[in-house]
Amino acid sequence: MYSDASPLHAQRPTLPARLPMAAAALWFTAFLASALPWLNQLEPAALLSAFWTFNPDSYPSVLAHFSWAPRVSMAILVGAALGLAGAVTQQILGNPLASPTTLGVAAGSQFGVTVASLFFPGVLAFSPDLPAIAGGLLAIAMVIALTWRLGFSPVTVILAGLVITFFLGAMNMAFLLLKGEWLGNLFIWGAGSLMQNNWQPFINLWPRVLILASLMLLLMRPLQLLQLGETSANSLGARVSWVRASALFLVVMLSATVVSRVGVIAFVGLAAPVLARLLGARTLESRIGWSTMLGGGLLLLADTLAHLASSWGDGSLIPTGTTTALIGGPIILLALQGFRNAHHMPGQTSTPAGFLPRRRPAGIVCAIVAALLLLTVSISMGWSPGLDGWSWTQVSQWNDAWVWRGPRMLAAILAGVALGLAGTLIQRMTGNPMGSPEMLGISGGAALLMVVVVLSGLEAGRTVQLIAATGGAAGALGLLIILARRHRFAGNQLLLGGLALYVFMDAGLRLVMASGGTEASKLLSWMYGSTWLVSESEAIGLLVFVLAISAMLAAIVRPLTILPLGDISASSLGLSVGRARLLLLLLAAVMTAAATVVIGPLSFVGLIAPHLARVLGQQTVGRQLQTAALVGGLLLGVADYFSRIVVYPNQLPAGLLAALVGGLYFLWGLSRHGRA
Amino acid sequence: MFTRLFTNSRLLVVALAILAAAPSFAGSWHHENGTLELDERPQRIVALNWAATEALLLLGVTPVGVADLAGYSYWVAEPSLPESGVHNVGTRVAPSLEAIAELKPDLIVTSAEMAPAADLLEQIAPTYVVSVYRKGSQPFNQALSMLTTLGQILDREERAQAVIDDIEQTLARLRARLANAGVTERPVALVNFLDDRHVRIYAPNGLFQTALDALGLTNAWPHDGNFWGFSVVGLEAIAPFPDARLVVLSPTPPGLSENLTDSPFWTHFPPVQRDQVYQVDAVWPFGGVFPVKRLALQITDSLLAGGSNLVQ
Repeated sequence: MYSDASPLHAQRPTLPARLPMAAAALWFTAFLASALPWLNQLEPAALLSAFWTFNPDSYPSVLAHFSWAPRVSMAILVGAALGLAGAVTQQILGNPLASPTTLGVAAGSQFGVTVASLFFPGVLAFSPDLPAIAGGLLAIAMVIALTWRLGFSPVTVILAGLVITFFLGAMNMAFLLLKGEWLGNLFIWGAGSLMQNNWQPFINLWPRVLILASLMLLLMRPLQLLQLGETSANSLGARVSWVRASALFLVVMLSATVVSRVGVIAFVGLAAPVLARLLGARTLESRIGWSTMLGGGLLLLADTLAHLASSWGDGSLIPTGTTTALIGGPIILLALQGFRNAHHMPGQTSTPAGFLPRRRPAGIVCAIVAALLLLTVSISMGWSPGLDGWSWTQVSQWNDAWVWRGPRMLAAILAGVALGLAGTLIQRMTGNPMGSPEMLGISGGAALLMVVVVLSGLEAGRTVQLIAATGGAAGALGLLIILARRHRFAGNQLLLGGLALYVFMDAGLRLVMASGGTEASKLLSWMYGSTWLVSESEAIGLLVFVLAISAMLAAIVRPLTILPLGDISASSLGLSVGRARLLLLLLAAVMTAAATVVIGPLSFVGLIAPHLARVLGQQTVGRQLQTAALVGGLLLGVADYFSRIVVYPNQLPAGLLAALVGGLYFLWGLSRHGRA
Repeated sequence: MFTRLFTNSRLLVVALAILAAAPSFAGSWHHENGTLELDERPQRIVALNWAATEALLLLGVTPVGVADLAGYSYWVAEPSLPESGVHNVGTRVAPSLEAIAELKPDLIVTSAEMAPAADLLEQIAPTYVVSVYRKGSQPFNQALSMLTTLGQILDREERAQAVIDDIEQTLARLRARLANAGVTERPVALVNFLDDRHVRIYAPNGLFQTALDALGLTNAWPHDGNFWGFSVVGLEAIAPFPDARLVVLSPTPPGLSENLTDSPFWTHFPPVQRDQVYQVDAVWPFGGVFPVKRLALQITDSLLAGGSNLVQ
């Protein structure tokens, strides 16, 4: 399944010496660094004995026994568990970007814990595992339900995991925004902390990890068959789907159990297997074994760095999830460099989307969607709650109401149009019905820079926000171009690169969240689309911009029709494939950036508007673009209206509502139409 | 006679001028985002954060709208909002501009946190921007100046002064009580438990430091926190301060007390062994001047009543 697991490597499965050496060096450094601050209080022998005993008369000894030793043990245990879970996940899905986090398990666990904290605090006090495991299972069940019929094809699973992460993340954020004061612990939990003051959590955890890990190892042989490819494995009698499902179930149990104790530790499950492979682990056994070893060492090192950083600073907590990002991030970038994706994307083998609904006349469909859009505008302008209940605003008074309802509605609709267009472009270009600006990471790049601005402590006015978002989108685009140039802007690499960017953004977001409540709430509210901040001039500026881009698009329908025919056919039809892709990519990126400023990075509109256009029977490029634009506008127009009224006078970010509705549609639509 | 008439009329003019001047009310105040110009004393005021809400209530002015009304009553509690007549205008992060506009305010009080919405707010009503909490600010001094400036703007300067005097006198009285009882020696660590492993510890650059200073107490935690005046730290981070007394602010997470009593780290912690854990009612740490008084009262009562070895 891996490009590097080709027969060439299989012939020489000998282990390079650098692997055990690197692992030993990692463990030694990490352990020494972790012990160093204690050596001026305790003798080395006394410190080592802290793992099993303590001297009740010496407080440093009590501290070492109940704080340092359990923390070290916990870091190793959790790191090893995540490394193992990551390696198994990557084996199941045959994708080096797979990990429990990217499959939505972390978001699901967080959702479970959030719901429990708010509504059933007793459950949380009784057992932290239950809500986390339930949430993690919910997430993975959604991913499995989505991808069941597609036979868990690798990239589909990753993308579905990302969608579920967005969806459950949106639910988490809704709670955090409305009830943040009650959820102080979740801000820490979301960034991961290995702080201990007792052995009890470790004693509770290790038998569970051991049992789950042993069960996983029992699945080794069937897993190994997966490496041969689906057809060969099936013919050897392995029930591929069943093996994948049960292995995934174990992965969820393991990561949710771990995550419920220490919070979301990002990157370790991703970086450890990648590092093992980079250092030369080839066979499945060696990958799983060394990934487990390296995971333990990596997390111990990361946690020690976090601990040292917080004691060198002003003592405030540096979440371990942040340092794992600092260590894991470069490892993953390194891996992406050499990663050649030889897989088929779902749907790529057949027509761009795997289903062909009956064609319908474009005029009628467009007219219906446009009429719905008009209806939305009228209701949004007229029917609205006030402080004394609901009332209908007369058309003659719309002029006054426009100030508060108009610009945000217009901007939301325009953002929807832009995302609909960008989404169609990307889906056409990648020939993948799951491609979208969200998945491309351009929105993620815009958001990443915004996170950086908030971290730097600037009081960001509107202009700073705009500049940051545009700069971030441009940066992400530049990175993607560099990353993808050698692949001639082919779709798969872009999607995976985008995923990596999103993971970075997420790590930054969690760091902000751990540092304190208010900045986090501000940032979250922006991230999920603060249409309420849009002024009239901004809305009009956006209108001009979107009109201009639409005009340009009308001129380049042809390359879009030709590109999905394949590189060779496209070239032979006289198209400069690389240049056409670059141009389309640029257009999509610029539109995404504009929309992201308004609606935040995480709406699903760029994903579902093109999909809906297809469902509505618009197959040719031009028609799909028109309909997708209208549908996108309609979706975000409705989302903006609801964001204003559902919890009036509180507001939910419009992008969050769009993500919730869009996520539901996606779940339904993919399970119905996604059959390849 | 002419002269007299002239004198009379001149007196009249002067009198008229005085009469006209007395109710008329004009002034301009510089604030963080420009200048506030007012021709009349504001009657309908909207407060977009809880520090501002508290200041208005202390001045005896009931705002027509506040952000997160229910949250204020739960977390800040004192000074209390009237049961009715005040409207909720949405969350503190993203208030509803339309709801604010519908209240037709003649003054909006907000902080620099609302900077992205500053222009839109200014469209609704004159906006006074004052941040008690921002980088490098001294929260208590900022809160004092917010209170006195709002006193000027609302023509309630005496009331503002009375509030400040009351707080100062209360603090002095409490300080004397503590000194007489001889319980000011050991430093105090002020914490909120976030879960059984992490606390929010209140730092020397925060609002609560003012209460400790006024009571003659030392803060056990030496490092500055974020500009809100706290740091999130692991419980183990307070271990290096074995001489401290631990003041725990409610509310605490469920199940905390069982988890702590099970933990030898906690039971061996010197303050716990000395029964020097003091739990006090919730005090809003990010308010204006009033929480200082509320906290000082509670700390004093609690220190004088004696501590225990557990938290509820």
